[in-house]
Amino acid sequence: MSEERLVSPIETRGVAGKKRYAMVVDTRRCIGCMACQVACKAEYDTPLGVNRTWVPYKVVGKYPTVKKQFLPRLCNHCDDAPCVRNCPVDVTYKVEDGGFILQRYERCIGCRTCMASCPYNARFMLPAHRTYTPITNVVDKCTFCFHRVPQNLVPACVQTCIGRSRVFGDLNAPTSEVSYLVARNATQVLRPEEGTKPQVYYIGADRNQTEFGRDAYRRPDVMEPDRSAFNNFFKV
Amino acid sequence: MGDYVWFHDVSWHASYAIYFFIIGISVGLFFFSFLSWHKAVFEPLREKAAYASFILLALGGLLLIADLSQPFRFLYVLNPAYLNFRSPLAWGALNIVSFSAVSIAYLYMIRKGDADNAKKLAAVGALLALGLPVYTGFDMTVHQSRPVWNTPLMPPLFVAMAVVSGAAAASFLAARDEAMLMMLRRYMLWSAGAVGVMLVSLLGTTAYGGSAQELAYEILTGTMGKLFVGLGMVAGTALPIGLMLAPAGRKGSGLMIPALLILLGGIGLRISLLMGPQIVQTLY
Repeated sequence: MSEERLVSPIETRGVAGKKRYAMVVDTRRCIGCMACQVACKAEYDTPLGVNRTWVPYKVVGKYPTVKKQFLPRLCNHCDDAPCVRNCPVDVTYKVEDGGFILQRYERCIGCRTCMASCPYNARFMLPAHRTYTPITNVVDKCTFCFHRVPQNLVPACVQTCIGRSRVFGDLNAPTSEVSYLVARNATQVLRPEEGTKPQVYYIGADRNQTEFGRDAYRRPDVMEPDRSAFNNFFKV
Repeated sequence: MGDYVWFHDVSWHASYAIYFFIIGISVGLFFFSFLSWHKAVFEPLREKAAYASFILLALGGLLLIADLSQPFRFLYVLNPAYLNFRSPLAWGALNIVSFSAVSIAYLYMIRKGDADNAKKLAAVGALLALGLPVYTGFDMTVHQSRPVWNTPLMPPLFVAMAVVSGAAAASFLAARDEAMLMMLRRYMLWSAGAVGVMLVSLLGTTAYGGSAQELAYEILTGTMGKLFVGLGMVAGTALPIGLMLAPAGRKGSGLMIPALLILLGGIGLRISLLMGPQIVQTLY
């Protein structure tokens, strides 16, 4: 007697005939040069104060054996993305073949519910003024470089990564490098307990260091005035 | 210092909490206007409450639209080709619009003196009004990564807060009508009691441990703690209940101070419930 278990129809990982792009970030190879952040900024004219990808760090160890542990961050292009189901006007959508989570800027009303629903803080509000790009006052985020990938190019951050910490590819293709890395290494995803099925896999990320640290409860007195001043000036 | 800390902004600002507050009073007032068809004691309140409810609804709607970063696109939420029915916000938008339409029709029937139709519209409007705090609660509940929001208590909590705020606002419209004030006192007492029980349950479950407890710290300490515990729970819920149970609170004239405290507490609770769980998340 066979038993069929129902799975979410929204998932594209493991579906035959469909691509499922993913990124593997090997934190052991990240040197914190921030070139990924700069490349992304250049690719999208991302304004000051907001980032599609960012590289936070934590100082770990005890003197004299201390080091900076980097954790590159970006939109996780979740298989079961809460931002997609929360958007009231269907701005955010998932590309069936590829799994990209994208959005229709011309339709965004700016209610910010997608920002509230994202467990990873991957979304941000674009400021009212930008130098070159007329897309303003709508929510934005990483697109996995959707415009580059169909042209057989990898995302800008992957292209520029000097330590080859970031690797991009199709998880559904058994011969891809990301499939190999995920199969051969212990990987972690951020906040798996949220059930979002994120598609950014980390090698060497320590969950103890990726969750809220106690520092979160101490107001960062050095950074908070900067953030407030920035937000006031740019009306973020 | 600064480890893993990045400049993230909160998603929903305090203006959204003010909208919750205004819309809550509007809903409560409409509910009392509806009750006036079934309880004679509320009859003098019928028209006043309906007008006040509509004015607050319009004000809340404008505030909500102004809070959008693209306010001129607000009509998109009414475009059937765009609507995503899995989003509580989409249901909320439809609810607000239909409640507004019914409110206008209800006011028209009252002015026209058509009691039969007005009574029917009051019933439909009361159901739609109930939908507003329910959708507000769902709006927060569905965000699974925010422990203080992500509880089924949110919709009934917002319904109870709407009733208590509406009753408090109605007591200012009651114009020394002793019988009506005494009836409003009962509504305030029971709904403030319900709010208190739900807040204690909320804290009991979130502050019990784990990541929920870590986020609950935010609404129990610092500025948010002053708003949630100080203004919301003590000054806005426990103290008004105590004052209404005291001998002075059993008279109509003694209700004004508890009503004012309830309204102030309502603002504090909504701001802290909305903002608190977002603050720690900005540091992730």
